[in-house]
Amino acid sequence: MAPSAPSITSTMSTRATTPRPSSYRYKSEKRGMTYNIMLVGQSGLGRRTFLNTLCEREVIPASEAPNPDTANVADPMRFDTYEVKLEEEGTHISLSVIDAAGFGDGLDNTSCFKQLQDYIEAQFDEVLVEESRIKRNRRYRDHRLHVLIYFIPPTGHSLRELDIELIRRLGEYVNIIPVIGRADSLTVDELQTFKRNVMRDIDFYKLPVYNFCWDESDSDALKENRDIMDFIPFSVVTCDEVLDNDYDSVRVRRYPWGTIEIDDDSQCDFVLLRYILLNSHIADLINYTEDVLYENYRTKKLEVGGFGEGEGEGEADEDDDEADEDEPSSASAKKQA
Amino acid sequence: RRKKQLDKTVDINIHKAELEEKMFSVKLNVVDTPGFGDFVDNNDCWLPVVDFIENQYEQYLRQEQQPVRKGVVDMRVHACLYFIRPNGHTLKPLDVRAMKAIGARVNLIPIIAKADTLSPAALRQFKKRVMDVIDAQSIRIYQPPVDSEDEHSSQRNREIISAMPFAIIGSDREVKTEDGRHVKGRLYPWGVAEVENDQHCDFKKLRSLLIRTHMLDLISTTEEVHYDKYRTTQMKTRKFGEPKLKKNDNKKFRDEEEALRARFTEKVKLEENRFRQWEQRLIAERDRLNKDLEQEHNLVKQLESEIEAISNSGSPNGKFFRK
Repeated sequence: MAPSAPSITSTMSTRATTPRPSSYRYKSEKRGMTYNIMLVGQSGLGRRTFLNTLCEREVIPASEAPNPDTANVADPMRFDTYEVKLEEEGTHISLSVIDAAGFGDGLDNTSCFKQLQDYIEAQFDEVLVEESRIKRNRRYRDHRLHVLIYFIPPTGHSLRELDIELIRRLGEYVNIIPVIGRADSLTVDELQTFKRNVMRDIDFYKLPVYNFCWDESDSDALKENRDIMDFIPFSVVTCDEVLDNDYDSVRVRRYPWGTIEIDDDSQCDFVLLRYILLNSHIADLINYTEDVLYENYRTKKLEVGGFGEGEGEGEADEDDDEADEDEPSSASAKKQA
Repeated sequence: RRKKQLDKTVDINIHKAELEEKMFSVKLNVVDTPGFGDFVDNNDCWLPVVDFIENQYEQYLRQEQQPVRKGVVDMRVHACLYFIRPNGHTLKPLDVRAMKAIGARVNLIPIIAKADTLSPAALRQFKKRVMDVIDAQSIRIYQPPVDSEDEHSSQRNREIISAMPFAIIGSDREVKTEDGRHVKGRLYPWGVAEVENDQHCDFKKLRSLLIRTHMLDLISTTEEVHYDKYRTTQMKTRKFGEPKLKKNDNKKFRDEEEALRARFTEKVKLEENRFRQWEQRLIAERDRLNKDLEQEHNLVKQLESEIEAISNSGSPNGKFFRK
């Protein structure tokens, strides 16, 4: 019962017709691009309905009523993974979405950052091990996170300590795209003020959000990317129901004082965000993760010497030789694993 | 503003206003607590609030015990509005703990803030869930008395109670709706959410409860129930006129206190070391001087004994040597 893909009226549509020359295009025809997204945010900001609206079908069912007797104790953080197969303009995407439930819900949230960081590093470590095997697994599925969507609560003022800390700590491991959840609680003026304040905070604290303009070689794309960056953080409203008109079905959210159309880009940035995530910038995000973030992590990890490599990699750093001699036994142990 | 973000405690701001309606004037004091629940670690962030409430009771208690009780200033809190964030699921642990602590000391009225982000069905469900949690966790909230003299007000009271917790939309701006009315509300691209429209939110009910119908009840329950409870517990443990014990167990201050104490003991240790070294040097100096003195003394003695020897043995040859 999903409605057809929304018509894109933004300027990005002209770009989509000329496919970018990238090896991912060819791989994708057969297997489906591996794409991993993580959703992080406090409960009640619309993460699960966002996923359902993004995939145009109900991927995560609505949660059942929480137990009132345990309301005084916060649930611990957990990572729920959902696999979806999508097709966007001819490209097959094998999407894996990880929902970080329980973030920021407790009284003392200082341990949440460490848990997220451990999770992301664990994915990197898996790939590191896999790369240094003698016999690589052909069907290995890459679980590295390509983008982390962080939901900011619509307070209307500025970023809170929790938001600042999260972006600061995780920005070096994953691409972070900040998003305003439940943006329908802000009027037009409030939304503009809020976006401005958030951008000012990001500049002031030098927070490492994903820089759309990281690839300076492609000059046409650079101008469009700068326009996109004006929209950050993206305002998101999620769909409650689908109204069937005579012409087509419209995804809406209804209030006693009016009805919001999700796919109208004058009312919220959902359409733009979806296009960026699943069409125009999917290659950029994946490339940045693999070429920059993962390589930085790898360099840092190997310099510290916590990883024995054996006869695997040619492009090891200078300090690797010591690491090799120190831990030949651990390397062989890992190969057997 | 940026400095405040990293400041680690909750502020208390007091605003005063005078309202006058139909020849009846009210001195209204509103206390705001910015910073509540905004931090990563929100443990004990309700302590400044609870301390403030108890301090007001304490001030009133002291004034009552004075010999002259004429100009008593009553700053006791008569009602506390707790703003719940509408996350659509249930109360957060922070809300539960804070409401328990506050509700035991003052009339607590829970409110759902920013109610314009929940659709009507979601709002109803959320209200029910919040009331379930309040019952299950034994949180004390303000229950307005239902029965009164006439049926009309009883009916109104029942309506008010059934609407708790109140869903509020806040706005102080006037906007124009599609059908041309000028109302206080919030302007969205898809419509205007009106503050004073009962279909949109419960603001009118809350306002009438606070300032019209139940104002007297709120004041008298504070005086009779909450203040009295405080007074009884304090009188049991303190003698008349004794000042209150101050318990400084705010965790953040405790950390600072520990750090200061550690620094102080270190400084004291350093100074002691310095004194000891100085003392040792002085002693060494003294010993050295004493030794020199002894040497000189020995030399003098030797010379003296030589003189003696010479003068004793020199009598036959005395004339000879004296030359």
